[in-house]
Amino acid sequence: MLSVTSWAYVVVIAAIGLYAATLASSDLSIILTAVTALVVASMVRVAASNAGHRFTTGLAVAAAVPMVLGSDLGVDLAGAIAIYAIGLAIVWTIRYLRGEGHADLLPTLVRRFAGYVVFATSYAALRVGTFAELSGDWRDLFPFGVALAAWIGVEVILRAVLVFGKRELSRSYLARSMIHDMNVFLGLAMTGALFGELWPEIGWWALPIALLPYSFAHLAFRRFQETKITYKQTIRALARIPEVSGLGTDGHADRTTELATAIGKEIGLGPVQVEDVEYAGLMHDIGRVSLNEPQILRMGYSDDDLARWSSEIIAESPYLSRVATHVRHQYEPYRKPGEQTDPDVPMVSRIIKVAAAYDWQVHQDGLSPLQALENLHAGAAYEYDPEIVASLRRLLESRGVLTPVRV
Amino acid sequence: MGMIALISSFLFSAEPDWGFWLPFAVLFVLIEFFAVEVNDRLLQSSSVMVLMSAGVILAILPGSDALFGLALMAGLGPLTPADFKERRWFQPLANFGQFALAGAVAGLILDLNLDGLAVSTDSLVHVLIASSVAAFAYAAVQTVLIRRAVKTVYGRDNLEPWSQMPALFTGQVTMGIIGGLIGAAFLIADREAIIVFIVGVYAIGHLSLYAFAQLRDSHLGSIRGFVKTLEAKDMYTRGHTERVAVFAQMIGEELKFTGTQLETVRWAALIHDLGKLAVPTELIRKRGRLEDEEYAEMKAHAQLVEEILAEVDFLQPMVEIASNHHGGFDGGGYGGISHDEGRSPSLEACIIAAADAFDAMTSARSYRMALSQQYAIAELRRNSGAQFHPEVVDAFEKALSKTGRRWGAPHVDDEEMARRLAEDPELSVRG
Repeated sequence: MLSVTSWAYVVVIAAIGLYAATLASSDLSIILTAVTALVVASMVRVAASNAGHRFTTGLAVAAAVPMVLGSDLGVDLAGAIAIYAIGLAIVWTIRYLRGEGHADLLPTLVRRFAGYVVFATSYAALRVGTFAELSGDWRDLFPFGVALAAWIGVEVILRAVLVFGKRELSRSYLARSMIHDMNVFLGLAMTGALFGELWPEIGWWALPIALLPYSFAHLAFRRFQETKITYKQTIRALARIPEVSGLGTDGHADRTTELATAIGKEIGLGPVQVEDVEYAGLMHDIGRVSLNEPQILRMGYSDDDLARWSSEIIAESPYLSRVATHVRHQYEPYRKPGEQTDPDVPMVSRIIKVAAAYDWQVHQDGLSPLQALENLHAGAAYEYDPEIVASLRRLLESRGVLTPVRV
Repeated sequence: MGMIALISSFLFSAEPDWGFWLPFAVLFVLIEFFAVEVNDRLLQSSSVMVLMSAGVILAILPGSDALFGLALMAGLGPLTPADFKERRWFQPLANFGQFALAGAVAGLILDLNLDGLAVSTDSLVHVLIASSVAAFAYAAVQTVLIRRAVKTVYGRDNLEPWSQMPALFTGQVTMGIIGGLIGAAFLIADREAIIVFIVGVYAIGHLSLYAFAQLRDSHLGSIRGFVKTLEAKDMYTRGHTERVAVFAQMIGEELKFTGTQLETVRWAALIHDLGKLAVPTELIRKRGRLEDEEYAEMKAHAQLVEEILAEVDFLQPMVEIASNHHGGFDGGGYGGISHDEGRSPSLEACIIAAADAFDAMTSARSYRMALSQQYAIAELRRNSGAQFHPEVVDAFEKALSKTGRRWGAPHVDDEEMARRLAEDPELSVRG
């Protein structure tokens, strides 16, 4: 089903491209070169920096197109649209045939095309319209800046709206994670603009000059990405110490983390908080390493002790200071009878509390998912945050773990 | 010397075009100011880029020379926030001279080559060559001076060995060429907008690099913090890991390790006992000899490091070193999965082994007092070639004598005495 709809979209976009090409005033050779450049550049992925979007260098080519096609007389908008549409249709086809991420492919294609067109159109309009009176550099900078802002707006909104049936991620999370990765986006767009700015004056020399500052940025993105992966692996490894030494429960931390991050994304936290949820989930029980001390074995311990030990260990890493607070509060009830909810208990802690309780009941106490959820429901509004319990229910339903209860 | 360079360059060259000079100087100082320490000195190279852009523009513009402008600009580079905070003035002043001299040399090369050049796309290759030569000269003058300064002030020569210089020079020259190209392109295109875009892309990259450096430090901090908390369970091993890391670093420096090798050894030292921390505390604290079964459990900790850190790709080389640190030089001992019975472990593993044993002897245990440094060294010597790597033992002894610090208890020179002292604290008062 998906592929028929997808092909329909692609054919429509390609048709728009071909029609626009007949209206274009630029040389055919320039249009063909730009299409080739767009296709080739779209094959080069850039390691996304924060929330894991994987932009391609195609963005830079797209940003350069209206500038390259522009002159003092105006911008060949039809030419630009032809380049975008044909280029994207080819890119999509290649990706599809290679079998890359089908679910994401179509939304990305539509989003990119819309973003490109909005960018080129606003640039063209501003260049000859509103800002035509400005002199010198401002005449280049203003249209680009405003058009770039419009482009980003379209990308973010479409990212949240166009999900094509994937409902486990909230719109808020989608939009915020996109904004979070804007540094890479901006770097690429400005690189394209640099090329577009230089091209009319110095021709192909513009290519190395535009590429070199970018390659520095690229290297930095890559390094950051690699270090982040290493950091996550390390935290995950350290979180396994209690299990390895026989003091933890097998897989509890991993499963809790998976469930908790899914809840975080579902109820609309931002990417930074979702990452906190991830670290907090992995390490929420790290304090168990202390459980083999004879003293503790003799005296016994409470949940609160465990939360405190865990939090103390996490607090040793400056990067995780927030997470230490979250873990400290992980056993606190949502609301004590007769009192207001405690504003000091962070959202992340409440999510961990629900996810950990669910996982414990299912995997330690041997309850069925439905029984466990019933227990959480019974404790909702006092022990557990009702919103989070509701989110957990939606999540379990969409995963097919529960059969939805119809009222 | 730098002052002389600055003054003479002021006398012999025309003034730079200050309108162009200022923004570049601000950018240059900012980059140096917010430099992120990256292993391969990426940041230092990128300030060369700004310098060369400015140099090319100043040299080509009619009526303006690069010589004085670059010397002054480069001289402003070595101001760092830490120096301001701690009111250290000597260090920046010394650096000032060295930067200014390097800047003056680069400026002179650019002036001689490019003055009055009619710049167009045809002359770009000319600009490229000139700026690469200037960048090379800049880097060369700086490194030669740094080495000389370090040698005269500290009397030692353990800065990066020359083998690492080609990489550094390549980086600097590449950055210099980019800078020159940007400067020339700016003159040809005559649009300030391109500077905005270049600075924009650069700034984004820089922020990312900054975030990278923070994360990298935190990575180290997290492991360190973990080890610290876990060690705290046992008062006798508290601080052990940090000390082993210090000793390992000392040995590595003595063996003329490169920066990356040293980093690997430091990391390995940090995680060398991670597995032991997963062993029940009673066992670690146990007084006296261990039962066979208990010994087997202690041995298992070598494999545990591997198991715990198996998924951290970055740490794999360090894990291998760490898990083999109980292997003897003669092939005895025990180790992790990669341990090969009958073959000596890697040099790095031998370093950790010696450092570990030394610290174990020179710190107190529940059943004995700390032993003296002489005893520990003699013990290493005695087992040199068998349990310990002879080169490592030699290097360790040399490094220890250089520090002048003494570890362990001053006069406890044999194991029996140390045990008796621990049994009966009165003895040390009487004895």
